[in-house]
Amino acid sequence: MKTVASYNIKGGVGKTTAAVNLAYLAARAGHRTLLWDLDPQGAATFLFRVKPRVKGGSARLVGGKRPLDPALRATDFENLDLLPADFTYRNMDLDLARRGDAKKTVHTLSRLLRDLSDEYDLVFLDTPPSLSLVSENVLHAADVVLVPIIPTVLAQRTFDQLVEFLGTFNGDGPRVHGFFSMADRRKSLHRELIATLPAEREGISATAIPALSVIEQMAVHRAPLGAYAPHSPAARAYDALWTELVQLLATRTTEH
Amino acid sequence: MPTSLILHWQGGPTRGEPGAVLAGLAALTGRYDLALGARRVRDATYLDTVDWRLRRCGLVLSHEGSALVLNGSMEPRTTKLSETPTWPARVEHLAPGPVRDGVADAMWIRAVAPKVRSRTITRDVAVLNEDGKTVVRIEWTEATGREPVRTDPLVRVVLRPLRGYQGDADRVARVLLGAAGFTPADDTVFEQLLQAAGMGEDEPGAAITADMPADVAVATALLGFADAITDNLTGTIDDVDTEFLHDLRVAVRRTRSLLKVAGDVLPDRLAERYAPRFKWVGDLTTPTRDLDVYLLGLDELARSLTVGEPADLDPFGAHLRKELATQRRALVRGLESQRFVRLLDGWRAALTKVIENGRSPITARDLAADRIRGVARRVFRRAQAITPESPAEHVHALRKRCKELRYVLEVFRPLCPPGVYRAVLKDLKRLQDVLGAFQDGEVQSAKLRLYAHDMLEHDRPPAATLLAMGELLSRFVREQHEARHDLNGALVTFLGPKTYSRIEGLLP
Repeated sequence: MKTVASYNIKGGVGKTTAAVNLAYLAARAGHRTLLWDLDPQGAATFLFRVKPRVKGGSARLVGGKRPLDPALRATDFENLDLLPADFTYRNMDLDLARRGDAKKTVHTLSRLLRDLSDEYDLVFLDTPPSLSLVSENVLHAADVVLVPIIPTVLAQRTFDQLVEFLGTFNGDGPRVHGFFSMADRRKSLHRELIATLPAEREGISATAIPALSVIEQMAVHRAPLGAYAPHSPAARAYDALWTELVQLLATRTTEH
Repeated sequence: MPTSLILHWQGGPTRGEPGAVLAGLAALTGRYDLALGARRVRDATYLDTVDWRLRRCGLVLSHEGSALVLNGSMEPRTTKLSETPTWPARVEHLAPGPVRDGVADAMWIRAVAPKVRSRTITRDVAVLNEDGKTVVRIEWTEATGREPVRTDPLVRVVLRPLRGYQGDADRVARVLLGAAGFTPADDTVFEQLLQAAGMGEDEPGAAITADMPADVAVATALLGFADAITDNLTGTIDDVDTEFLHDLRVAVRRTRSLLKVAGDVLPDRLAERYAPRFKWVGDLTTPTRDLDVYLLGLDELARSLTVGEPADLDPFGAHLRKELATQRRALVRGLESQRFVRLLDGWRAALTKVIENGRSPITARDLAADRIRGVARRVFRRAQAITPESPAEHVHALRKRCKELRYVLEVFRPLCPPGVYRAVLKDLKRLQDVLGAFQDGEVQSAKLRLYAHDMLEHDRPPAATLLAMGELLSRFVREQHEARHDLNGALVTFLGPKTYSRIEGLLP
């Protein structure tokens, strides 16, 4: 089982849409896939029309008092299950901190996911925007961290900070893969960064998810792009990102 | 994972049309919305061996489009086919893959052939909650048998619960079961089709009853054997698999044995007239069967070689196959001859006449008691006379008497107490197994010598082949010696007081 996190410290950069669309594509490719919506706002949960409720909430889940299995929900798409968000996830940092030993605490999500390793080939983690104990857990659990970057200088700086932070993981950190999100080709800065940054920075792909209304309509259709606009430019961009991810995961398998 | 629930629906056919399917599921619309999915049409050919070996193992094998599909207690398996298969097919003729692996043991050496052909129309329906989320999937399926008989459309509704939504699945099931026309079911489409076509149940032969006139009882049993000969005739002629010939021969042997043991109760010298004719059929089939047996065991024999290599026996295998082709031609000529057709037709007509006009003064009960006792006495006499020094012919004679006892017991089984019958048969089978092993060793040795002689005369086999055959010969002789040794112990057990008293307890 491989774990992929969609992560950025900033919010509103396209983490959830990336997680939802890539999980959908993974399932369509025949991988047994789980998407865990860790964001208490529950956007991914909403997009799959699942109720944002987990019995026992965050405390029981991360406390190990309730197994993950009963909380899992099938989506409307074959091979794709969802572990929904719950509003109590807003306290997940505190719940994790209560686990005690700091070293163990950052591996809590990894341990929980280990129980599902026979059931799924791929797990996607849709993370809340922050640098917190939850995100630290996510970064420890992930094999690959996908980082949506809005093509701006500040976003680039945030990516660098993340790479620097992951450099402290003593060699077993995840593979970081940045990609451009909400790219607007009418803006010269966007065009310039998309053209130059991948060559200058390791771990940043030239793939750019365009800022198109068809992506915003995911919330109207409450479905991944592939379900209602499979041939749109945005869907094709996610296809390209999925192809890159497959290669990254294959490399990751070879390395391990 | 949640398990599916199957319902039958007794309403009229819908052909998967949207309005009709939605009308069938109308009971759900109070709480849920229904979204219709694709309508699919597929043709399937369901396959099994003539004796339903797959079905008895809970396996359903079908040919659908360009794939073989296997369902059963395991996860469904599929093997894509690159060319159109032909039926019947033995396991070695099925496309390699998970389906063949899944049926190999159950099929054994038997061929599968079409049992039922059907056309199935399926309409997928998603049951949606108030958020428009699919909470249960429904497969609305109508299967129509097309061959060998046309059936009415058989509607089954499969409810597939989704993870995390078992509560909705339970509710949907409850609502549908409370609505008109739905009943729970646990069968497969194949079973449903078989039932609708009136197939799949072993038709019990006409049973012998205790008060039947003896001649009617014997004729009834013989007619059952004649049916078995007829049932296996086409499969034997077409060489579908080797078991057709085996079963045909068993029916012939049973016929001959019963004619010998109880044929005297039949009128018009029937036994006297037909016994030599059935001997002819037996003799006609023996050479092919002997070669079949050799070829079926040849791979195992080749693997057992310790001095020679398995490939050393390849020329021997080629010789056997050439010989088999010759013998099969003779067999088919015989079975297709007027002589055989007349024999079987005349035999059936004569037996039917006896059954219709039975006038034997004694009953089946009297006959059973008399003949079982008589044959059992002969078996005991023969068995008591066997010593470690007895010649092989005496052992073979005992084996023949044991077979007679076995067959007569099987004929009169309906008149025997079941528990005692099982115990007697167990005693007898134990002895028969040892006798069989002894005779097999001797027959195989004798045949092997003959084949070697033939090969030397016609094929000029390599020395390695003759040496390997020599190794086989020594194995057969050794096995025969072991069986001879085991025979002494088996006889002591069989001749003990329990066996005879059990047979006495069996007599009606």
